[in-house]
Amino acid sequence: MRLWRRFLDSRLVGLVVKETRQILRDKHLLFLLLFPPTIQLLLLGAVLDPGLHNVTIGIVDHARSPVSRELISAVTAGQMFRRRENLSSDTALEERLRSGQLKVGLVIPPGLDSALAREHRADVQVIVDGVDAYTARLAASCMAQKIQRFNPEGAWRLPPVVPCLATLYNPGLRSSWYFIPGIMGALLTLTSTLVASAALLREKELGTLEQLLMTPYASWEILLGKVVPIFALLMGDVLLAVILGMSVFGVPFRGSVLLFALASGLYVCVGISLGMMLATVCRTERQSHLVSFFVIVPVMQLSGSVVPFETMPPFLRAIGAADPLRYFTTIARSLLIKGAGLDSLWPSFLVLAVSVVALFLVSVIRFRRQLT
Amino acid sequence: MSVVSGDNPRAAAREDLSAISVRGLRKQFGAVEALREIDLEVAPGELFGLIGPDGAGKTTLFQILSGVMEPTGGAALVGGERPRAARHNVGYVTQRFSLYSELSVDENLRFSAGARNVPAGQFADRRERYLREMELLRFADRLAGHLSGGMKQKLALCCALISNPRILLLDEPTTGLDPLSRREFWHLLASIAEQGTTTVVATPQFDEAELCDRVGLIHKGGIYKCGAPAELRAELRLSRLEIHTPEPHQAEQVLLQAARHPASSLIDVHAFGDRLDVLTRDARTAELEIKASLNAAALASYMVLAEQPTLQNVFVMNMRGEGLGEVEPPPFPAAIPGACAGDRPAREAILARDLRKNFDSFQAVRGISLEIRYGEIYGLLGANGAGKTTTIQMLAGLIEPSGGEVALAGETDSSPRSELRRRIGYMSQKFTLYDDLSVLENLEFYCSAYGVARPQRAGKIDWVLSVCGLAGMERMLVGQLPRGLRQKVAFGASVLHEPEILFLDEPTAGVDPMSRRLLWKIIREFARNGSAILVSTHFLEDAEYCHRLGLMVLGDLVCQGSPRQIKEKAGTVVELATRQMHTAFDALSASLDCSLISVFPGRLRVQLDGAAMSIEGLLSILDAAQVAVERIQPVPSSLEDAFVAVARGGRGATP
Repeated sequence: MRLWRRFLDSRLVGLVVKETRQILRDKHLLFLLLFPPTIQLLLLGAVLDPGLHNVTIGIVDHARSPVSRELISAVTAGQMFRRRENLSSDTALEERLRSGQLKVGLVIPPGLDSALAREHRADVQVIVDGVDAYTARLAASCMAQKIQRFNPEGAWRLPPVVPCLATLYNPGLRSSWYFIPGIMGALLTLTSTLVASAALLREKELGTLEQLLMTPYASWEILLGKVVPIFALLMGDVLLAVILGMSVFGVPFRGSVLLFALASGLYVCVGISLGMMLATVCRTERQSHLVSFFVIVPVMQLSGSVVPFETMPPFLRAIGAADPLRYFTTIARSLLIKGAGLDSLWPSFLVLAVSVVALFLVSVIRFRRQLT
Repeated sequence: MSVVSGDNPRAAAREDLSAISVRGLRKQFGAVEALREIDLEVAPGELFGLIGPDGAGKTTLFQILSGVMEPTGGAALVGGERPRAARHNVGYVTQRFSLYSELSVDENLRFSAGARNVPAGQFADRRERYLREMELLRFADRLAGHLSGGMKQKLALCCALISNPRILLLDEPTTGLDPLSRREFWHLLASIAEQGTTTVVATPQFDEAELCDRVGLIHKGGIYKCGAPAELRAELRLSRLEIHTPEPHQAEQVLLQAARHPASSLIDVHAFGDRLDVLTRDARTAELEIKASLNAAALASYMVLAEQPTLQNVFVMNMRGEGLGEVEPPPFPAAIPGACAGDRPAREAILARDLRKNFDSFQAVRGISLEIRYGEIYGLLGANGAGKTTTIQMLAGLIEPSGGEVALAGETDSSPRSELRRRIGYMSQKFTLYDDLSVLENLEFYCSAYGVARPQRAGKIDWVLSVCGLAGMERMLVGQLPRGLRQKVAFGASVLHEPEILFLDEPTAGVDPMSRRLLWKIIREFARNGSAILVSTHFLEDAEYCHRLGLMVLGDLVCQGSPRQIKEKAGTVVELATRQMHTAFDALSASLDCSLISVFPGRLRVQLDGAAMSIEGLLSILDAAQVAVERIQPVPSSLEDAFVAVARGGRGATP
């Protein structure tokens, strides 16, 4: 009991109390912590879905036979391709493609039925608008797949080897499952860095920092006092993001809640330390906003949280290895979707812990020198 | 300079028409009444002073007079028109922003002229004339941001004058200037008024009021006194006695005791660094009473001088009349009474040797040495930019010196350890409190930061609240308090832990005169308890409270000593009264530096030593110019005189 009283009277607790009061009184900051992350998560989660939907397709059917009609309905079944119109000539199709009304064209030759009957195989032409390379590649491969599989009533012999795919963990291949943990990490980086640097720079701009430096507090105490309430609020943000991810996007939570809390906690600390470090370099809050965008955008890009890590060129991947967000994203994805455990994730945890210590130390060392 | 006492002949010529006429003017900002029922008449060609502390309503009144803002109620006429219509005849120098620092002197002038449609021919003439008059012609191509503080204010004045306004409004034009630049600036104002421009100057400094034809004393949104300075002093019907003594505190106690006697002739007793001021109705009786009391208390080495009361006295007595007099601060609830006076590892609390600081190629502080003992109040006096704050920050260990040594409480670490910092109090020039926390929360925070033991906290917080008159309002956010009050709370917060060394950087900025007296009473109490106190200020009045002073000019400590010793540096000062002010001024300024002359309505004040001149020499110059001198007498020198004398020497030494 006496120890508890002494703890409550300690100067560090006094500092934490002061910081908490200030933050809770800052309605602007609370708003920033609550609304933008929510809305961004919802928006980005919905937008960052790289699947194919409603690609416009134009079809020139020279065969006009039951088989060709069946092929057309097989290709346009589902959400992927949307038929806009039947065209009578190849030139009309070409024109539509050029004007951008259509993305994909399918030309069925007149001798479809006879070729199939004679050789058990026939050629159809698929034309893809390659301007949007990403969509084009995806559309071409989907189209090819659909046409290859076209085999009404098992009339024809299929190619000798057919891969039989089994998708683990995300059987519906829902890309939101992949993106939500990454977006969560990216948003946490942004929010924690900005909030932490703002808390410190406000003192610097007002001039209270000078006063604070003259108190008996050590640098690490001043910084820690600022970290504690911000940390608590940001953990609230994590909780909010997880709830949104699960309820809106149906992301599963298969791993240990405790491990996930530990990873988020570590990562929030990384963000806060990064913000503190920026604050010791900058003079005003506005300056720190500019600098932090310069820092945060590459952190997000290189982490694989938004752009898949595997699609990056090797040298960027090498730089990305130093990006703490990459490790958080890895942990979050594995924990939420795969239910992985510490045995496979410990290296990532280790990297996060090391980053926290390093960034915080740099901030502490820079802190007392910043007035000169 | 035809200004003769309160009676203004220039005004008489156009008696019927006031330059500025204000009736029942009110301005409300939300629940705050910034101006309440103000009545004011300013005659054409008058040099009028609006004297009051920060937050008194000076700027609000100016904003209404310049047509920038509409009043809530009442009427204001400027040159017989509504302010908005009259604004082309009004030049307004605002307090904060009046120049573009990225533009040159000429470009600033041209912009002001363009904005007010000054024809090219007239512009060229006036530019030449004003720049020459203000000694800025040489610097026409220099960026405004690279000018000194005094030159900036002169340029701002030029910009306001370029459209040849009939009325000039100047909002605190001399705040932050050193006494020398300030005196030069007032010379300009006097000559502008002489040329017939009605000039209204707002200032928080009472000593400037003496230079005006008439003044209005403004406090909390109301003008409570209006008239010529001499009239206001006469109306007080009091004399002031200065008692110079090495033991002002003991003498104060003795005289306060005496003043409590119903038959006493002493009305007010107030202690400064090395003297007391006593107000009395009858100087002769009071002098006898003072001598009797001091002799009875065996305080022998003192000297009594009879002086005129100051406008500051007028202010204080008026506030008392309204029941707003100062309250005796409650005694500070020290944890261990007299703890600060305990055994010291070192005799000097603060010691600096050849301390210097360079910012890139700029030398902010150029090798200063000082030592401050426990129990001593040491004042650093200087203009903005003289290096006071940099010096304090180096002494406190906030920034690393470029050279030299510092010892705090005998310790020479470059940045003091946590344990030592606990024994130091520091009040920075900027805001030292958190605006978004309440008064109570701020004080609680500083209590815990300095490890004030829990049982003592309540008593100490109560002490701050009662000193600030905030008892019962401790839940108010600091951001909602007026500046002066915030300053008092900040001071309280910096002394809660009974520091043995106290740094106060401009503690009285923005504080009204009553609060200033109160703050200094408390500062002196801490010094008596053994704390070493370093105060920086650009107010000459603050300097009077210090035991020792250091004058800072351009990063140099040019002179140190007690206020009295410093004043002696000014040498002989004489005051002469004449009706031919203009001729007298011209004749004198031809043979001696005009910064040695101060122009008051109807009298000139001349420092003789700086010009190596005798009274006879002075009289012969005036005689040659056929000036009839009505009265000439030596007067005690002021700190301003001393500063000017010393700063002139400094200017000569560094080209």
